[in-house]
Amino acid sequence: MSDASISGVSLPPAAEPSRHRNTARWGYALLLPLLIVAMELGVSLIEPRVLSLRNITNILVQSSYLLLFASAQMVVILTGGFDLSLGMAVSVISVATALTTTGLAAAGAPTWLIFVAGIGVGLGVGLLVGAFNGLFVSWVGVNPFVVTLGSLNICYGLATTISGGRPVFNVPDAFTRPLYDGAFIPGIPIPVALAIVVAILLYLLLDRTVFGRALYLIGNNPRAANLAGIPQKRYLFLAYVTCSLLAAFGSLMLTARTGSGEPNLGGSLMLESIAAAVIGGVSLQGGVGGIVPAVLGSIFVTMLSNAMDLLEVGGYVQQILLGCVIIAAIFLDRVRATRA
Amino acid sequence: MAMSSNSTSDDALPVSVFERIFRSYRVAGFLPVLLTVLLVAFALFVPNFVAVQNLLNVLRSSSYLVIIAAGQMLVLIVGGFDLSQGAVVALTSVTSALVMVAFKDTFANEPGLIILVGVLAGLGCGAIVGLVNGACVAFLRISPFMVTLGTMSIATGFALLLTSGIPVYGMPKSYVEGFGRGLWLDLPTAFYLAAAVVAAIWVMQNYTRMGRYILAIGGNMQAAVVSGVPAKTYLILSYVICSMLASVSGLAFTAQLGSGQAVINAQLTLESIAAAVIAGVSIKGGVGRVEMVALGAILLLTLTDAMDLLRIDPRIQAIFLGIIVVLAVALDEFSQRRAALV
Amino acid sequence: MTAVATNQETRAAEAARDNADLLLELTNISKRFPGVIALDGVDFDVRRGEVHVLFGENGAGKSTLINIIAGTYPPDTGAFRYQGREITYLTPHGARVIGISPVFQEFSLVPELTVEQNLFLGRELTAGGFLNRPAMRARARAIVRELNFDLRPDYKVAQLSRAHQQMVEIAKAFLTEVRLLILDEPTASLTDAEAAKLFDLVAKLKASGVGIIYVSHRIREIKQIADRITVLRDGHKIKTVAAGDVSETELVELMTGRKIGVLFPKIEHNPGDKLLEAEHVTLGDRTVNDVSFYARAGEITGIAGLVGCGKSEIIRAIVGLEPIEAGVVRVRGTAVTAPTPAAMMKQGVCYFPSDRVAEGLALARPVRENVSMAALDLPGFSRHRILQRRSERRIVQGIVEKLSLRPPLIERAVASFSGGNRQKILLARGLTREISVYLFDEPTVGVDVGAKIEIYELMKNLVATGVAIVLVSSDLPEVLNLSHRLYVMHRSRMAAELTGADINEPAVLSHFFREQQAEGAVARELQAST
Repeated sequence: MSDASISGVSLPPAAEPSRHRNTARWGYALLLPLLIVAMELGVSLIEPRVLSLRNITNILVQSSYLLLFASAQMVVILTGGFDLSLGMAVSVISVATALTTTGLAAAGAPTWLIFVAGIGVGLGVGLLVGAFNGLFVSWVGVNPFVVTLGSLNICYGLATTISGGRPVFNVPDAFTRPLYDGAFIPGIPIPVALAIVVAILLYLLLDRTVFGRALYLIGNNPRAANLAGIPQKRYLFLAYVTCSLLAAFGSLMLTARTGSGEPNLGGSLMLESIAAAVIGGVSLQGGVGGIVPAVLGSIFVTMLSNAMDLLEVGGYVQQILLGCVIIAAIFLDRVRATRA
Repeated sequence: MAMSSNSTSDDALPVSVFERIFRSYRVAGFLPVLLTVLLVAFALFVPNFVAVQNLLNVLRSSSYLVIIAAGQMLVLIVGGFDLSQGAVVALTSVTSALVMVAFKDTFANEPGLIILVGVLAGLGCGAIVGLVNGACVAFLRISPFMVTLGTMSIATGFALLLTSGIPVYGMPKSYVEGFGRGLWLDLPTAFYLAAAVVAAIWVMQNYTRMGRYILAIGGNMQAAVVSGVPAKTYLILSYVICSMLASVSGLAFTAQLGSGQAVINAQLTLESIAAAVIAGVSIKGGVGRVEMVALGAILLLTLTDAMDLLRIDPRIQAIFLGIIVVLAVALDEFSQRRAALV
Repeated sequence: MTAVATNQETRAAEAARDNADLLLELTNISKRFPGVIALDGVDFDVRRGEVHVLFGENGAGKSTLINIIAGTYPPDTGAFRYQGREITYLTPHGARVIGISPVFQEFSLVPELTVEQNLFLGRELTAGGFLNRPAMRARARAIVRELNFDLRPDYKVAQLSRAHQQMVEIAKAFLTEVRLLILDEPTASLTDAEAAKLFDLVAKLKASGVGIIYVSHRIREIKQIADRITVLRDGHKIKTVAAGDVSETELVELMTGRKIGVLFPKIEHNPGDKLLEAEHVTLGDRTVNDVSFYARAGEITGIAGLVGCGKSEIIRAIVGLEPIEAGVVRVRGTAVTAPTPAAMMKQGVCYFPSDRVAEGLALARPVRENVSMAALDLPGFSRHRILQRRSERRIVQGIVEKLSLRPPLIERAVASFSGGNRQKILLARGLTREISVYLFDEPTVGVDVGAKIEIYELMKNLVATGVAIVLVSSDLPEVLNLSHRLYVMHRSRMAAELTGADINEPAVLSHFFREQQAEGAVARELQAST
């Protein structure tokens, strides 16, 4: 079995001089930040508004939301899987939270209860979605694409059903204020601050816990992980739950921002979160990624759509571009994988 | 009889008739039985189910799905996946309508030519998307999920861009009335189209090289390559045919609608996958029969129709669809695992 | 004419005749894959009507060479002459057309297709663009009858036993006219009767002028049928000899490049309690049938056997990687129900897979993570599920240095290490926990000689501390010299248990023959009674 297989492709790559690979790695790492700066400078030549403080703040705030979704997707991609239901889960969580909070407000519940209940319901629904996905992927062993395609539809159905197809307006301030208005630290809007906190926590989770280590190992070689006694099923399940919880948190933040529960909130989020993760450097093969790629990717994608908005590029064209960017990013990812 | 000391083989020959029937049941699965049972149950318990108009509707909408599902089956057999089918339908709808409208005056007296040009444009869309999908999967070795996710996004974007979301009217009457909404021998034209597609694919699967090649590519790519099967060619061909079949269905559906629309049934892709999986097509590839897929599509839409007649909210139906797909694939996974242990 | 001139003439005439006899002539063939040189300047030729054996260890380059001959991929350098003509471009299909018929070790069969469909894959008979099924069915039946195989053309390959699948693979080769037949370990899964049929076939083909390349590492078999033998090692051709001119010992020495007996350390034998027992274990797919064995502390228990005999499967089953249908596995006397790798690890049983890359290592991750993989729940590595990285680093560094990993850099990705060092990384994993039973599955495959010695030293040291080692190996010298007790498995059953002086090659091999003779006797009896 260690001899060349029929196609001769299964032979493993042997040692390459380490200096080479390190410079290559640094090269790739710097590529994206450089690209981001270059793009902004380039666009500012045509449209100077791009570099205004207001716009930059805007971008940072927008990226914060996307960061949550990109990192959610990343957790699952690390294990070699995927979550297509992300967007629709966000929608259903938004609607559920909005209904809960408006209902409680109408019933005259105290402020703290509205807030806590809103968060609770949102995270609870997220937990359910994550558990559903995780269950079928880890215990039953169904392909994650198919499972999350199915849960996508289920969430979509639920979102449109319980909302009656229309947004749920007037989400009470008790809920939106802490998650959106103002800033804890002057100068840093709440969404950005929350995103930073989540990013730090996620970093610690991935880098410092057994769970995080297991995700990388499972993603890199599930059979080896299994043989080494790592409880794959458990961690795979938890990965999907973590993903949905992160997405839930992002959904709560978005709902607070729009002030309404939107059955369409998730819309293009699925594609954007994938784009952000992949562009940032998370490999679709699994086992490669981290919080830094998610951050960089989120900023890049947000900047791209921000620039296109300012340049008045139509929404449809943006969608086309997003599709092209995704394919290009995946192609690069493939090239990176074969080169490595 | 050669004395073989192998204790591992099941080489005992099945002789009895019972074995034959059992084997064919195992092959055909529960699908025909389930379909029959459901049809009878619906006929008895669902109001208006057996009304001629209703049955014609079911037949017509199943036909569209059968064509698409047959295409999805091809791609599933070679071990791939096509998420872009729904988008291709939309793009085809829009493109064919726009082209027909554009050539309306040029061929003012020849509606046949107008239709021809529109149809060619529509099929062209399918061919292009299929080529992109196939080439990326075969040459760039990108995962089919990701490629078709990307092309889905791009195709939808184009469709919306071309029409700004507004339906395109103005297709020739003969196309809409005669073909789209017409009846030949009391049956919807779409039915004949679907029947022709199923027949053609059935012949391909059982009587041409391609039929075996795609099974080989999906079943054991290495074996196929080593045996000299031009794997890349047939891989790409599968994606092209899949997208073109989506176009065909799109053309027929557009004809029935009477206008080119960029926003068409968002669940189409999921439905085609569901129809295929229920029919025993494995997500892992290497297995699939078009007759079964046709039955699967009919089953799915009969179910949807019955739910509509029973006034079940379409949004809740979406939930059911999701659950059905997941369960069907889970069942497939379980049965494969048990087969491996035997 | 002087005597010298006559000799020259004779030699010239001989040379001319040899050249006319040359069916295949490969000169200076090299082939490189990313990071590995598979073949380096190999010369190889086959004459008409000869059986030319390719002999060598796994990783020597045999598969690469036959793949080049069969047209799977081209050589990077070198000349390829076939039937006197230069071949510059060859596809698998093209090779078959000119009479080169390969029978691969990894079957080229599609499980969900029938025997008949597999036979014709890639070269279906057509009539007017459509499949000519009646013609194919007829031809398939004809071939099966000709070869005297017990096959039903309409059965799916997935339903067949491994032996029958091998027969289909062989039948595939005979679909087109065969001028050069390549057999890659063809008897690996065949019974003695079926192997004899194959040898008859080979003899018939020889007589009709077909050239045969026969890849094998079974010395008995080679001596039986070879005309010439070419030995490959690490991508180089070592020597080509006439079969009659070389002894079995010499062959092994040529293959391994060392003198047997010098390499293996003397390992102390202090047997203690039975730490691991398998009682009447049978697997669901019958690759293991009613097998029992035990392993004791302070002892190396070897399991030898031909490829496919089930020796790997039985130890895999012990850690739960193969489904057990019947029988009991005991650790220190207590039965284990439904073993899993994790559970067995906790009981102190560690399995090292034969395929490091597919099952053992996470190549893109650093050495540190690969070594600590199995011990993440232990206090030195984590507390309350939080990793203790400094402690982890210290422990792993220590282990890695003890094993002489080259270079001992634990932050480097495993992918950048050679085969021997990768094996050390894998073995290092076994030193992170309290392990009392080590299950080694082909531990030195693809490992260079220097690393092999170090691994044997590791085994010696482990055994001295009182652990039990089960060594499963197809490398006969290795398993003969290291085992204190040696089991021999043959076609899914336990054939013998040898100790002390009984552990020698003739004894081991004879246990195969004895069983085959027994089978033969039973067969003859049955035939006589019908």
